[in-house]
Amino acid sequence: MQKTTNKTRVFILLILSMLTLLSGCEFKDIDKVTFISMIGIDQSDNSDKPFKVTVKLYVPTSSFKQSPKPQYAYLTENGETLSEAIRLLETHSDKKLDFGHAKLVIIGEELLKANKEKEILDLLIRRPDIQLISWVAIGRPNAEEIIKMVPKSETAAYPAIFNYFDDNGTESPYSVSTFLFDFRRRMVESGIDAILPIIEMEQEESQFKINKAYILADGKKPHELSSHNTMLYNLLSMNIDIGDLIVNEEGHSFIAKIDTIKSKYKVKVQNDNQVRLDLDIKLFGYVSESKQSMQTKSLPKYNQLLEAEAKKSITDFFTEMLEAGYDPLGFGLKYKATTLPNQRMSMEEWQDAYKNAEINLNITSGLKSTGTIQ
Amino acid sequence: MSSQEMLRWINEQFKGTNQLTEKTLDYENKYIVLFYVKSMIDKALLQKIIIKPFFEMANEHQLRSYLLALPQFQKVESKEQLLFEITNGYTLVVIQDDLFLFDLKLSKNDQVNTTTVETTIHGSQLALSDNLLTNINVIRSTYHEPSLVTEFFTKGGANKQKVAMIYDKEKVNKDVLNIIRKRLQSVDKQVISATTQLNNFLNNKRFSLFPQMIMTERPDRIIYNIAGGKVILLEDGNPQSLAAPVVFFDFMTTMEDNYHTLLVSIFLKTLRYVGLFISLLLPGLYVGVTSYSPEVFRTELALTVAGSRIGVPFSSFVEVLFMLFFMELLLEASIRLPKVVSATATTVGGLILGTAVTEASLSSNIMVIIVSAVAISTFVIPVNEMAFSIRIVRFLLLVIASLFGLAGLALGLFVLIMYLVSISSFGEPYLRFYNFQKQKERTEEHI
Amino acid sequence: MSRFYYYLILVNMVSNIIASVPVILLYFHKEGAISSMILSVVVGTIIITVYTRFFNNFPGMTLPELLQKTTAKWFYNPFIFLLGILWFIAGMITLITFSFLLIRYLTPETPITQISLVLTISVIFGCLMKTNRVLYTIEIILILTFPLIFYIYLAAYSSKNLRWDFVKDAVLYFNQLPSFYAFSASFFLFLGVANMFIFNRFFTIKQKFGLKQIVFIMVTSTFALSTTYFIPIGFNGFEHIKDFIYPWISTSDSIRMKYFIIERVLFIFLLFYLGIAFLSILIHWHVSIEFFKFVFHLEKIKWKGVKIGIFLPLPFFIGISTYFVKRLDEYQLVRLSGIFYNSLSILFPLMIILFLFIKRRMKYAKNNEQN
Repeated sequence: MQKTTNKTRVFILLILSMLTLLSGCEFKDIDKVTFISMIGIDQSDNSDKPFKVTVKLYVPTSSFKQSPKPQYAYLTENGETLSEAIRLLETHSDKKLDFGHAKLVIIGEELLKANKEKEILDLLIRRPDIQLISWVAIGRPNAEEIIKMVPKSETAAYPAIFNYFDDNGTESPYSVSTFLFDFRRRMVESGIDAILPIIEMEQEESQFKINKAYILADGKKPHELSSHNTMLYNLLSMNIDIGDLIVNEEGHSFIAKIDTIKSKYKVKVQNDNQVRLDLDIKLFGYVSESKQSMQTKSLPKYNQLLEAEAKKSITDFFTEMLEAGYDPLGFGLKYKATTLPNQRMSMEEWQDAYKNAEINLNITSGLKSTGTIQ
Repeated sequence: MSSQEMLRWINEQFKGTNQLTEKTLDYENKYIVLFYVKSMIDKALLQKIIIKPFFEMANEHQLRSYLLALPQFQKVESKEQLLFEITNGYTLVVIQDDLFLFDLKLSKNDQVNTTTVETTIHGSQLALSDNLLTNINVIRSTYHEPSLVTEFFTKGGANKQKVAMIYDKEKVNKDVLNIIRKRLQSVDKQVISATTQLNNFLNNKRFSLFPQMIMTERPDRIIYNIAGGKVILLEDGNPQSLAAPVVFFDFMTTMEDNYHTLLVSIFLKTLRYVGLFISLLLPGLYVGVTSYSPEVFRTELALTVAGSRIGVPFSSFVEVLFMLFFMELLLEASIRLPKVVSATATTVGGLILGTAVTEASLSSNIMVIIVSAVAISTFVIPVNEMAFSIRIVRFLLLVIASLFGLAGLALGLFVLIMYLVSISSFGEPYLRFYNFQKQKERTEEHI
Repeated sequence: MSRFYYYLILVNMVSNIIASVPVILLYFHKEGAISSMILSVVVGTIIITVYTRFFNNFPGMTLPELLQKTTAKWFYNPFIFLLGILWFIAGMITLITFSFLLIRYLTPETPITQISLVLTISVIFGCLMKTNRVLYTIEIILILTFPLIFYIYLAAYSSKNLRWDFVKDAVLYFNQLPSFYAFSASFFLFLGVANMFIFNRFFTIKQKFGLKQIVFIMVTSTFALSTTYFIPIGFNGFEHIKDFIYPWISTSDSIRMKYFIIERVLFIFLLFYLGIAFLSILIHWHVSIEFFKFVFHLEKIKWKGVKIGIFLPLPFFIGISTYFVKRLDEYQLVRLSGIFYNSLSILFPLMIILFLFIKRRMKYAKNNEQN
């Protein structure tokens, strides 16, 4: 036994030294690597090379304390395909480009209108080094400008734009955030449609504005959601619990700050493929702004007003969605999840049924307070 | 062999040296001869219990009975024993043709020391002494079981030191006992001057990375180990003892763990194991992340690391090796230096390694932090011997991580665990978990 | 039962994720994956019960020893040789799959041969350890890695990005007829018990194996199996889930740990599953080597007085697996695993007949001894 273990060890040493000779070329230090912070994909003017890829690179500084201002480098390249553009990008850099830290992919609005999103999606998913938890967004007017803008408030190492998507920073009810994997599953699966935020710029203030969204559905033109509808989507999908509803009725005008929302959706199929969507929504919150002075004892009245207002807004939202046949909340999926496969209508039938669906909206509001003052 | 011949033989052995003192006492028809080595015996005691009574006794018969009754008395069995005992501080008394030995040894080293290696806040501050008998006395007086057995061996061809093997015969594992006894008997070395040397002699392997026995100077630890069924080895002239067999977890425990309240000791133990993993893995992790998979860490951290490496002329592997090497030098230096100088060494070393190296951008800031974290967490390992082994293993893991990246590091850790499980300390598996609720889950071993 | 018994079963249940099991199951997502899974839980639990009860009758005896006592040489030598090859393939599949994963996601620039060699060499000496030491290793590495893997499961289940509607959609396909491929793939989760062929050597005391233990195993396996199948669906959708080559890797990349030092769960998943893969290969190849040892009497082979016998299989193991790592592509690997799982799911239930035979013979032998 003793002898064998000694032999074993000698053998291990031998193998190890052999392996030492084998390896050596893939050792690459971190300072020989450039990290990409975000990727922008645009349509180029050159029709032979329709894709324009822009990447934002982190430029590391030796101490973030000494130079708190962010530094970036940018690379742009056109290509016939996306991977060609990326390959060309790599020839521009003296260091290895590392896509592993890219957290945001911005797609130019024009590309979206040209219906190139599937091609882009394919590449993003296929490359193993691109995170599936990177955010996807639409850049308006194009991705390149968005990528190249650095807001004044930005600090080193963490681009300010990430804060819009990350729940750590602003919890704005107006910005949608979509992960790459979520984008994919909504694109390829039937019964639920993808939604992507739109990033706009306010050039003079050097700020981003993210309060609109695009809904993408198979074989349809992308549909833009207004900021109000984006917020309603966020509330309804329960992505974000907060939201503002402006009530302006019967001489009362106040803003209800919603901080909790509970909703239940059901899809009921009646005879001859008539669909009814049962929506049961409970809103809780407080009054955050009012033009008149408010009375705590009349909270039930305010609740009624809020209910009426919410009902109106949400009905408007759904009418808009149903008419165009978009389904960002996934009612089609809900339908599939509750019906056995052999009893389901086909997806085309469902599309028609969805367009003509009847909405049964039931809203309960529970304002608990008028804020710190009456 | 008659006593006369024996005396002649003894005298021959000491011929040419002026070590052996021969003293003849003759008074009122009483006649005895004393032989002793002057430097070894307690002269006051000799005067008190042998010389003075000699002059007071009425006759030789009474004197002989008196001497036989003394507790220091020992029978003479062979001439070799006689010679050995005389060199060991015994006094030989010759009455007519009879030889008597008396233990009048003078020890200057029987004071117990205070703990220096395994210092604790709680518990006894006293360690063992340099004297074997005192040590046995210390152990005996805190372990009151009749089943405690002490066996003596004489080891070392040249210096013939006494080695004692102590165990509780009811608790000890018989197989282990036999292995140790056998190996102890087969030890054939000229000079054995420290107990810890036995660690190497009893372990049949030439290259063994991990200690097979645990060294301790604390009597409470010895008692704890004896009660746990271990065998303790003590050597005369040494304030350290060895316990065997050991398992890996012994090296991660201090005696204090038993003295603290449960939550405190769980916290301390967790701290220690986290420290162990940090000191093993951190350098390798740094190399693996910076040179193979920079996308593993979150972006901010990766950028900080990348930024701090700007201008460093070495690749990460050389950088880590360079810094670790200096840390090890500093460690070694501060052990060997006299206490007065060692403070200077640490200051100089800390200054050079900490500040100047980064100022000169020979190493990144983060590297300095990593090296100090590694150094600190190495100190957390309570038993010194294990800390030494860990320092070596750390370099091995660093090399593996530099060759194969993070996956290599993880595999290296698994192989290390496997190696620890596969080796044995005197037949017991070195690393395994014990289920204390079901101790007799199965009748152990030898599969 | 002793905790070590559960480790053997658990490793197989957990490690399936990185093998081809999820790929095969998800391939049949509309053609009877659910019903196959349910069927496999039933059959699997029966197999586990029968196997465990059988080996419980002969504490400390391995299958080769039992066969040697009860069957003829012409039968047991080729049979055990076949078993040895099966176990070798089981380990090799895990090895190849994990090498592919590492090269794809963690170290894309390292040559594949090197990755697989490092894996092979680090495992292979462990396979020569004594059986009890193998079990101790399993325990320690499991305790180190399993909590985090379990945490990943929990994070996946509690993630708000897990869309239960997809899962429900998938569940509704329960009424399809089971498919054999999907059945064998999910049946593989239960075959950890077959390692008792060798590891029974360790269990020298008769163990208790009653209803409580059976229910426990059934619940755990159902949990493991449904995690394997449903979590990727919940994260990546149902209709096109087939597209993924490594569904679980894509799934783990979809989980985010916002505040941890490592943000992408993918890497934690890879590094900690490396431990599970390590254990899986270790167990399978240990059993395999023990079988070969028995067939070829490897301990007796000496060269210049040194026992080199037990080292003889190692070059073959290293060589063959390295060859296949280079030779196979991802599609072939899934095909190979599919065929392998199929053959197992035929062979292992049939093994029960052999057990009955052995049991009768052993009874005779015992009676004869008493007379």
